[in-house]
Amino acid sequence: MTTDTLHPLAAEYLERLRRAGRGLPPGRRRELLAEIEGHLSEAIDPSASDAQALTVLDKLGEPEAIIAAETPHQDELPDRRGTREWVAIILLLLGGFIFGVGWFAGLILLWSSRAWTTRDKWIGTLVIPGGLATGVLIGLIAIGAPTKRFCRVIASGVQHCTTAGGQSTPSILGVAVFAFLVLAPIATSVYLARRAG
Amino acid sequence: MTLLAQPATLCSMAAAVRETAISQLRRGVLEFCVLALLRDGERYSYELVRALGDADGLVTTEGTLYPLLGRLRREGVVDTTWRESPSGPPRRYYRLTPDGQAALGGFVIEWTRFRDSVDALLGNGVLR
Repeated sequence: MTTDTLHPLAAEYLERLRRAGRGLPPGRRRELLAEIEGHLSEAIDPSASDAQALTVLDKLGEPEAIIAAETPHQDELPDRRGTREWVAIILLLLGGFIFGVGWFAGLILLWSSRAWTTRDKWIGTLVIPGGLATGVLIGLIAIGAPTKRFCRVIASGVQHCTTAGGQSTPSILGVAVFAFLVLAPIATSVYLARRAG
Repeated sequence: MTLLAQPATLCSMAAAVRETAISQLRRGVLEFCVLALLRDGERYSYELVRALGDADGLVTTEGTLYPLLGRLRREGVVDTTWRESPSGPPRRYYRLTPDGQAALGGFVIEWTRFRDSVDALLGNGVLR
């Protein structure tokens, strides 16, 4: 960073802009900061008086106003929670049950949509790959492996098991992991729906 | 609540609506002013922003022009290259793409028609 060559008031302004821009997609934030830093270093000499510096900063406008202008607008996001976005959310959650393929289709829709930021898309991808199907599959394997049990999964994600033999009690840790694997993708779906709206 | 508003409030609401209309008009025209500044060759961001900022009544906050430049890049009407500057951080140079040239050409024709019509109407209305 070349902030040491900036006028103290310009450096302070740039810092405010950096903080205000936390919600922007990272690439756009970086480019915007580079451009504004260039502006500040050309317009304000490090040895300029505070009054001269403040005049330039006044013309530049409030950092929050610049960030608001950079934030993607309605016209740049034509698909704000349109049909594609709903299909993406549903496929990410439940698509894993369609031999896993459905989840990948959801992933393609997620990344090709302009309704979400890159950060949102990573959350949608990583929490949790495979969606609900992953949790259910892991739950089935964990419970099914030691004692031969037959499990059915009811639509709500609750497991209904009949055991041929002694009932094995699942460990608290196992239940916690299973609950996380089921609840996390649901929370992600709610998050994505809200972010796109 | 709006129904019970005093005439003075309604008046200031109407003024606010007019102000929004003016700022939308300004915003709509601004991007073509950027393209026009690039007609004779490339310029770097600060030069563009200063030229627009110095034009009377066109820009209220210079900083919001940088997001506009970013949008023009994403739309492909301008192309950019970074170059070292003799002093300070590197500069981003902008130039028109063929798409940008076409957009500017189209705007010049439309704007001339629009301006002439509005001028004619305003002239008649005001001077009578």
